[in-house]
Amino acid sequence: MHQYDIIIIGGGLTGLRAAIEASESGNNTAVISKVHPLRSHSVAAQGGINAALGNAPGAEDDSWKDHAFDTVKGSDYLADQDTVDVMCREAPSAVIELEHMGVVFSRFEDGRIAQRPFGGAFFPRTCYAADRTGRNLLHTLYEQLTDMDITFFDEYYVTSLIRDKGRITGCTALNIVDGSLHGFTAKATLLATGGYGSLFARSTNAPINTGDGAALAFRAGVPLKDMEFVQFHPTTLYGSNILITEGARGEGGYLFNNKHERFMKEYVPKAMELSPRDIVARAIQREVDEGRGFEDQFVHLDLTHLGAEKINERLPGIRSIAMDFAVVDPIKSPIPVQPGQHYSMGGVASSIDCSTPVPGLYAAGECACISVHGANRLGGNSLLETVVFGKIAGESMVKGVKNISAPSIDPVKSALKAELARIDSILTRDKGENMASVKEDLKNVMFDHFGVFREEDKMKAGIKQLEKLNERLSRVVINDGGRLFNQSLIYTLELQGMLLISNAVAQGSLSRQESRGSHFREDYPKRDDEKFLKHTLAYYHDNKTVIEYSDVTLGRYPVKERVY
Amino acid sequence: MKFKIFRYAGEQSRYDTFEIEPEAGMTVLDALLHIQARLDDSLAFRYSCRGAICGSCAMLINKVPRLACRSQVSELVEGKVKDKVTLKPYAAIEIKEPWNKEDEVLVEPLPHLPVIKDLVVDQDKFFEYYRVVEPKFKPGDEHPEKERRMDPADMAELEKYTNCILCAACFGACPVDGEKPEYLGPAALAKLYRFYIDPREKDHESRLLQANMESGWWACQFHGNCKQVCPKDVPPILAIGKARQKLQEIGETP
Ligand SMILES: Cc1cc2nc3c(=O)[nH]c(=O)nc-3n(C[C@H](O)[C@H](O)[C@H](O)COP(=O)(O)OP(=O)(O)OC[C@H]3O[C@@H](n4cnc5c(N)ncnc54)[C@H](O)[C@@H]3O)c2cc1C
Ligand code: SF4
Ligand code: FES
Repeated sequence: MHQYDIIIIGGGLTGLRAAIEASESGNNTAVISKVHPLRSHSVAAQGGINAALGNAPGAEDDSWKDHAFDTVKGSDYLADQDTVDVMCREAPSAVIELEHMGVVFSRFEDGRIAQRPFGGAFFPRTCYAADRTGRNLLHTLYEQLTDMDITFFDEYYVTSLIRDKGRITGCTALNIVDGSLHGFTAKATLLATGGYGSLFARSTNAPINTGDGAALAFRAGVPLKDMEFVQFHPTTLYGSNILITEGARGEGGYLFNNKHERFMKEYVPKAMELSPRDIVARAIQREVDEGRGFEDQFVHLDLTHLGAEKINERLPGIRSIAMDFAVVDPIKSPIPVQPGQHYSMGGVASSIDCSTPVPGLYAAGECACISVHGANRLGGNSLLETVVFGKIAGESMVKGVKNISAPSIDPVKSALKAELARIDSILTRDKGENMASVKEDLKNVMFDHFGVFREEDKMKAGIKQLEKLNERLSRVVINDGGRLFNQSLIYTLELQGMLLISNAVAQGSLSRQESRGSHFREDYPKRDDEKFLKHTLAYYHDNKTVIEYSDVTLGRYPVKERVY
Repeated sequence: MKFKIFRYAGEQSRYDTFEIEPEAGMTVLDALLHIQARLDDSLAFRYSCRGAICGSCAMLINKVPRLACRSQVSELVEGKVKDKVTLKPYAAIEIKEPWNKEDEVLVEPLPHLPVIKDLVVDQDKFFEYYRVVEPKFKPGDEHPEKERRMDPADMAELEKYTNCILCAACFGACPVDGEKPEYLGPAALAKLYRFYIDPREKDHESRLLQANMESGWWACQFHGNCKQVCPKDVPPILAIGKARQKLQEIGETP
């Protein structure tokens, strides 16, 4: 049995930032992560992190309030304006703090942190470290922790949260390396487990982003918020769905269908390829659906007219991604692209101090819905969210553990028994469904029925299929019966959680009869503020997903139509 | 296409061969995932991002340490091999395991670290050496109110080293690490050098002195395998050379 004051589940940017806060306070702290923290998905972020520093020439007047306005508008007015204020107000000091920790941000000639323009932002306010911002931030935060008093449980997979008398008092975790199961008690527990991109067949996310935190919370009776809001990025590489940054269109790339038409002129004649993400994603999907794609799968992102020099200078990362992963040299040929899942706006319901409705449990980062992104996230705001709310989560937990006595270990003991039984039932079953094919089918159902375009009949058919998958899940077998680094066992545990939360995404999408931000209903193409200027709350009751709604916190910015 | 893969079982370790239909653009990681999903779900290997940025998936592919997710299967078979890497030989890659270079890819765990299972190695030692160099930024003065300014001209050199993703490919490619397990290795020294050349740091010399020992800067024999295998074009060998030169200049040798 391991006993801590504070347990942080997740070693990405959110978890590590919270860990600094927790450990500096002298509380006995542990970080549990299913991969080594440096392998967390935060490492993959490319473009940058937003803060109204006003460093860019002509952007001297930028202020956190402008940043907040852009964020609220981008969210299609679904973001809570109080949490947006916190994020944008804290942004400049959060970025400066990262610089003080040693992050090598790219610089302007005068030596100040460089800032570039990003979609949906009035001023250039995205700070970056070349096209490797996530790598630089994550490695720097991890470096900060190397001399701090903190225990890391690397490659431990959290299987359940412990709930004792209405409070979360710890968790159980499987040591992936040797297969042993461990019990943990904590006075405060933070979920910082990242997004649920792997629910979808096509995603820019790492395959490890399976939404475990949402599933852990959901099972423990914590509501999930706005799960139907899933961002689809227009240009992901056909085949692997690795992200091809917006910058490729920013630098002048064209999109062509199989008739060699720049089809964006049919959709948004003015902005063309530079229209907002959700609009371009829908246009590409439409072209493919109506037979104007290549191999019925993708369109072409053509950079060839930019010339070798510009491509090498401005988009070297994109060139090597295309060459390494699709064997296409963008200097000579167009890049095959298709829309893919990119970001999870929904997540564990948490409030402005990162606490959840269940005492003892906190949630922050992409796994949470504190609602700074509403119905649509702006590029550069999620890295910001991780560090701002990671810190706040740490502070809240430090406050929250004062005067709390050590939790009882009895509930942990019974949870360990239950979890062992769950694991054994998977390992000992010897006939049934192939686990990998159930997972593949789930991802396809989610992408086909709850993807870029949604519509009532299509979604109802999808929900039927999810029910069938649920049945198949109970019969899933794996052949590896061993304990040592049994990845198939981990995949199966992940899959159980994925199916569980897919219900929240599905029911939330079906119930929301409007189009807002990333959620596009062909049968309800307009936003409906009267009925749906609301957050969706999904509860798990008696093996069923129940949908309720709660109010959006409005503020300085009146709700308006979102036009660009 | 065949994949001949090392399977760890202590004394009874063996190689299993799997045959799969290669798809266009298939990487070694794709192939491993396919094998794990369809042919043998007990096969173990680390990965996370599948985009050559998280550093999880370094392994020995056709006797060269590479990232599995960045290695195109089509470029690994004879006739199509593009980036011909010729490593200075060392014990670990000379273990003879015949493989048919025409249509087979040989996949083994990264050398110099203990194997846990199949292609998964225990990286504790690699990260221990990382911590030995105290990889934490040590600025010179009190934090200014805003950012410390940096001359963009200084950035190019620094970025070469901040690009490291700690994949340990260089560690597994270094002949010295094979013979002298106490050698900190290319990645840890490249990390230390990154702090040494950071103009915002306080005491540059003390950074150099941190690895001024037989198992530090001075163990390197300039084989250059590190620079050849690095998937991020980090040149640890150059850092080590410059550090030694500077130490000699200031008369600090162990
Ligand atoms: C390709 C790509 C590019 C992006 N670029 C940008 C960008 O330029 N700017 C921007 O603002 N945002 C960007 N984003 C989004 C941003 O990177 C993420 O939202 C953010 O990094 C999430 O951080 P996190 O700490 O919340 O989670 P993560 O970094 O995903 O970390 C999750 C952690 O939880 C752990 N974990 C999960 N489940 C379990 C479990 N069951 N048990 C134990 N541990 C567990 C994992 O091991 C991991 O350590 C990008 C995203 C993608 C996919
Ligand atoms: S220097 Fe290169 S090969 Fe070595 S750990 Fe870093 S990225 Fe990997
Ligand atoms: S899986 Fe991340 S580097 Fe290969």
